[in-house]
Amino acid sequence: MAAPISIRNVSRRFGDNWALRPVDLEIAAGEFIALVGPSGCGKTTLLRIVADLQDPTSGEVRIGEDSAAEARRKRLLGLVSQRPAVLPWKRAIDDVRFTQKIAGRVGFDPAKVLAEFGLAGHENKRARELSGGMLQRVNIASAMAHDPSVLLMDEPFAALDEMKREEIGEWFDRELSVRPKTVLFVTHHIDEAVMLADRLLVFSPAPGRVIEVVSVSVPVPRPRNHAFRQDPRFVAIAAHVRGLLMHQATA
Amino acid sequence: MPADVTLNQSAKVARLRPTSPVRLARRVLWLAMRVAMPVVSVMLLWYLAIWLSGLPAFVIPLPERVLEVLWEERAFIFGHLLSTLQVAAIGFLWANVAGIGLAVLFDLLPPTRHMLMPAAITLRNVPYIALISVLMLAFGDSILSKTTIVALAGFFPVLINTMHGLRAADEVQLDRMRILNASWWQTFSQVRLPYALPSIVAAQEITGSGSIIVAIAAEWMISSTGLGYVINHAMQNYRGDKVYAVALLATALSFLIYSFVHALGKRLDWRAAGEQRRG
Repeated sequence: MAAPISIRNVSRRFGDNWALRPVDLEIAAGEFIALVGPSGCGKTTLLRIVADLQDPTSGEVRIGEDSAAEARRKRLLGLVSQRPAVLPWKRAIDDVRFTQKIAGRVGFDPAKVLAEFGLAGHENKRARELSGGMLQRVNIASAMAHDPSVLLMDEPFAALDEMKREEIGEWFDRELSVRPKTVLFVTHHIDEAVMLADRLLVFSPAPGRVIEVVSVSVPVPRPRNHAFRQDPRFVAIAAHVRGLLMHQATA
Repeated sequence: MPADVTLNQSAKVARLRPTSPVRLARRVLWLAMRVAMPVVSVMLLWYLAIWLSGLPAFVIPLPERVLEVLWEERAFIFGHLLSTLQVAAIGFLWANVAGIGLAVLFDLLPPTRHMLMPAAITLRNVPYIALISVLMLAFGDSILSKTTIVALAGFFPVLINTMHGLRAADEVQLDRMRILNASWWQTFSQVRLPYALPSIVAAQEITGSGSIIVAIAAEWMISSTGLGYVINHAMQNYRGDKVYAVALLATALSFLIYSFVHALGKRLDWRAAGEQRRG
């Protein structure tokens, strides 16, 4: 079950330096939010605050009725990092089971889901025996294995080449239609963000603040596929976001 | 054209994968070389040292004389060897209990590191000769004094390597455990310890073989049993050949222990798991 997220006046400062200026945002249950901006603008910091892996300097995060810490303790969160967190000594299927064992909750049948994730026949392979795309699918399967309400993703497809990135992005979009989650998705890739998200949070360069919230879901409903990339609405939104970032970079 | 391609590919495969008797013969030859080469090179250096130095047989006996002594006095040496092995094994065990135990304590309760680490470093830097003397005064020629010395000499590498290994766990994995609200024990046993295992095994390679050497040194100074005592006794009786015989035995023993721990470590090392499966 996806949960709504409420980000209220959340900021983070390291010493005298602002990593993240105050952010306010209400995210509906099941909504896909992409955080877009240049390096060091505070996207990952915001993600880690929502994940309760970092404390905010000010403000608070509510996930449903819970604070971020309570949500983490209730195992309502799933985390997907850029570098896969698949344990190198475990086979793919055992890694998915490992999440379920630690969380004390079986979200789904690992073998069935790995097959759905296009990994049939690869369940017994270890991390180094899998390609980058396969490994990231195992990583996502492991992060979703305990059926979290919220999925926090920090540049999950950054290590993949362009083709693989598009392929896995479309696959992930289809997966979300089967297993709806509220998603916070950090990326540098504007096209990827427009393709996947309902809304984009566009950040200014450091010290990061949200300069605009761009809505994609209103003009373009789901499910989306590669044909959407040629859609004039996609091109217009991507160009608008690119323009915002370019303007900020040169300002 | 397709036939040529198939033929070429077959020839390539045949080159890469020789038939099994050839592979077996190569493997046996390679293993024999691995065993023979160190022995041959040591023997060559030994004869070269005798020839170049011109020192008397008391100082550098011939290798065959040393082997002869080892055989002739095997019963006497074997009895003392058991004594040395006992001291080394107990000391090694305590070194691990103390080294791994402290590292785990530092991980569980970080402030204890600041409290206990200076003491560990101090113990490490006190000259062993002074420690042996104090232990001799306190406990006499006992197994306690000798095993304590072996443990003190061995625990520091185990402590440092285990600490380093526990800190080597991937941050991404630790984040995953935090997000799943894993307990300290779950994070330790499922992530930190497996990541630390290669470092802990590396420490065993040092401490395991070093335990024999330190046990002999302790016996040489304070004991009336063990290989250290045999060396001391032989020196007093101008039996250089016997000293060499014991030294040879101790070296072979240390080497065996090192090889055993190394082989065991390779089996436990998760980094090789994927490659083993492919091989």
